[in-house]
Amino acid sequence: MTAQTQPSEFVGKAVERLDGPDKVTGRARYTADVFLPGMLIGRCLRSPYASARIVSIDTSKAKRVPGVFAILTGADVAGYRYGRVCRDIPILAQGVVRFVGEKVAAVAAETAEAADTALSLIRVEYEELPFVVDVHAALRDDAHRVHDQPPKVVGARLRNPGDLKMYPPLPNVISQLTLRHGNPAEAFAQADHQFQHTFNIPSVHQGYIEPHSCLIAASDDGDVDVWMSNKAPHGARAALAEALSIPKEKITLNPVFIGGDFGGKGGLMDAPLCYHLALHARRPVKMVMNSFEELTAANPRHAASITLTTALDRNARILAMKARMIFNSGAYAGFCPVPTIHGYTAFAGPYKVPNCDLEVLRVYTNAVPAGHMRSPGGPQITFAVESHLDMIARDLQLDPCRFRRDNAIAEGDLSPIGERRQFLHCRAVIDAAIREFGWDRPKGADVGRGIALYEYPPGTFDDSNVVMSIDGAAKVDVAVGAPDTGTGFHTIVAQLTAGELQLPLNDIRVAFRDTGASPFERGPSGSRLTTTIQQAIKAAVDAIKTALTTLAAERLGAREGDVRYRPDGLIEARGKSIDLKALMAWAEAAGKAPVVRHGKNTPTGRSDVTCFAAQIAEVGVDRETGQIRVNFMVTAHDVGQVINPITHQGQIEGGLVQAFGQTVCERLHFGDDGAVISATLGDYKLPTVMDIPDLTTILLPVPTAI
Amino acid sequence: MRTVHTTVNGQRVVADVPDNTLLVDFLRSQLELTGTKESCGVGVCGACSVLLDGKPVSSCLTLAVFADGCTIETIEGMADDNKLHPLQEAFIRCGGFQCGICTPGQIMMAKALLEQHPRPTRMQIKQWMMGNLCRCTGYYKIIESIESAAEGTKS
Repeated sequence: MTAQTQPSEFVGKAVERLDGPDKVTGRARYTADVFLPGMLIGRCLRSPYASARIVSIDTSKAKRVPGVFAILTGADVAGYRYGRVCRDIPILAQGVVRFVGEKVAAVAAETAEAADTALSLIRVEYEELPFVVDVHAALRDDAHRVHDQPPKVVGARLRNPGDLKMYPPLPNVISQLTLRHGNPAEAFAQADHQFQHTFNIPSVHQGYIEPHSCLIAASDDGDVDVWMSNKAPHGARAALAEALSIPKEKITLNPVFIGGDFGGKGGLMDAPLCYHLALHARRPVKMVMNSFEELTAANPRHAASITLTTALDRNARILAMKARMIFNSGAYAGFCPVPTIHGYTAFAGPYKVPNCDLEVLRVYTNAVPAGHMRSPGGPQITFAVESHLDMIARDLQLDPCRFRRDNAIAEGDLSPIGERRQFLHCRAVIDAAIREFGWDRPKGADVGRGIALYEYPPGTFDDSNVVMSIDGAAKVDVAVGAPDTGTGFHTIVAQLTAGELQLPLNDIRVAFRDTGASPFERGPSGSRLTTTIQQAIKAAVDAIKTALTTLAAERLGAREGDVRYRPDGLIEARGKSIDLKALMAWAEAAGKAPVVRHGKNTPTGRSDVTCFAAQIAEVGVDRETGQIRVNFMVTAHDVGQVINPITHQGQIEGGLVQAFGQTVCERLHFGDDGAVISATLGDYKLPTVMDIPDLTTILLPVPTAI
Repeated sequence: MRTVHTTVNGQRVVADVPDNTLLVDFLRSQLELTGTKESCGVGVCGACSVLLDGKPVSSCLTLAVFADGCTIETIEGMADDNKLHPLQEAFIRCGGFQCGICTPGQIMMAKALLEQHPRPTRMQIKQWMMGNLCRCTGYYKIIESIESAAEGTKS
């Protein structure tokens, strides 16, 4: 152990993930793998209409099905509305349904067969109402209003630039964000060229392989035990407590592995309903959405309609950009943890845009409610901006790489939304991608090439905490407040702790136990966790070291100021020394171990450091069938300190193939009646191993403040 | 209800199962072998892949009674006395998993592949593995894991 932080042999090393042995043997337990005695299966009946009044519900026949323990309709859960920021989601439809797939009734039964039989016997009489699924139609004055009244709004804070209005007096608008930087009107008046294009970007599903699952047991004395596929159990516990009007101390979220999140598993989904079923049945109830329900009625990425207008001077330098971005939020806003779509903060981020005028609208329609997915809004906005720039370059007969390079943001430039940033390596990233790809080499027949840029800062928001303890055997336990959703989060915590304490990795254990036995953690969100938890770990390690210094001084009969940590791992004072294991063994015998300390990080404000990516793709087309194939891609990134090259590269490859899917083969298709018709994984085409392009990744190790 | 005689991961199992019970439910609920996962339920995603007499099947599309007289291999049977199978080691070494929900299915399918083609070409790997979806890794490290395991097991 050393007093100062030194580069560790574990930080930056491709160490194997801690969760590997559990995950490759089938021991890793996910929510659906938990079985409790007396457990029932919960299922729900969903609306076949995009918009209708519920005239009557008859459950009398369903109640007679053997094995059925509870049947709920809207009347049983009246008065509850939940949601993140916008509290607009009923647990079961309250007299009206607002999208195809909305939950109308629910059953808990001993078997799935009994539950499904009961559902088939519930008679619901509907009276169809007008509906609207297109955002432009929803914005018209005479549009059908999806909600009569705005819901309760809680915590609609904007931590980014812009002016935010919640539920402004516009038809079906949930939030309106406006942001102006510079003087766009003047810039447009002076422009030599102006271009305007509109891009309609469809919704996609997060595609996690584990569907939303929850298992809830409510005891007679009011304790509620929860197992659920949620990336942030502390947030989920607080939300569940509010949604159910019970104290959060009564609720425990138990540790389970999460089978993919990608932003989609931050909300409550079926948990409030599952609780009420468990309460009525007086038995534990498990609900696992099937893939049909996932694709038609979960919380997919927002579809968007984005209109961009750009002014350029005679040298094809961007003078100003205007953007109107309309996001289709579907029938409920409560699946989003933020008031607007944050992707706007990376709007045209790789470029120098001196004047900018943005409007971001979230709009209700009678479509499936939209939620969060990896960089919410980012892919939609990037697809629009990058396509728009390609169309401009083509019109002006400019090379798309050089046009981008000439307009790239550089050190000293403000971002398009007017923020000052540092370490702007955009051009270096473009150049690396161009060089690796061989942009100027001749093309084959029926082959096209394209480049796109992206900018994204590390997230520096919300608290991270760890509770660190070192025991009599000098083993370290790090309690964190969130599961590892697959990113390698727990392994990274172990590496950082080993690095700070200069201890072998095998001596570090990292665990999320349950919400009662762990500190608060906001969880993975907006590329924040590695950054924010690093500071919490440092704080905990500092406190542990202070305590160890006190112990060592006492053991060695010295003053604390005399204690030194030698590079060979020994602790020394006044000519005597002791190793950590011996010190901790002594401390334990003296009743002074384990030593437990808390580390907290409360970030302040947005990071002024950002990162860039440049990707170049070579795409072949079969002229006879029209099928396109992405043959080869180069992805170039400027990176700070890579903590684990395996998990780092895994994030790049996984993200790239998700973006590939969204660009090439994935789309939620809607029928005229507002229903999602790409309703199985046969119809909704996720990329397979056959589809992926050959890939070369370039990492530019560049200095940053992180 | 029928009596099914099977050998699951080397152990004889005799069980009464309803005619309409799916193999995935038989394994997960009745035998408590929850390493086999169910996701799409329609035979597209491959998460429920197990080996029936050495051949990969989607256990979500297979009735449990079809396993009568067969051997069943699941992820729980891959490690031998706590010694991981070379494929399991390779998936850890190469980072061939992230969230891990598809991993049992990937490894079972890869086992069948390597039994058929001990030194598979990259195209053979892709053709065998195309029915096993993974949303986290983008597949690159799964290919690498299988290649690494194949190289490690060469004689």
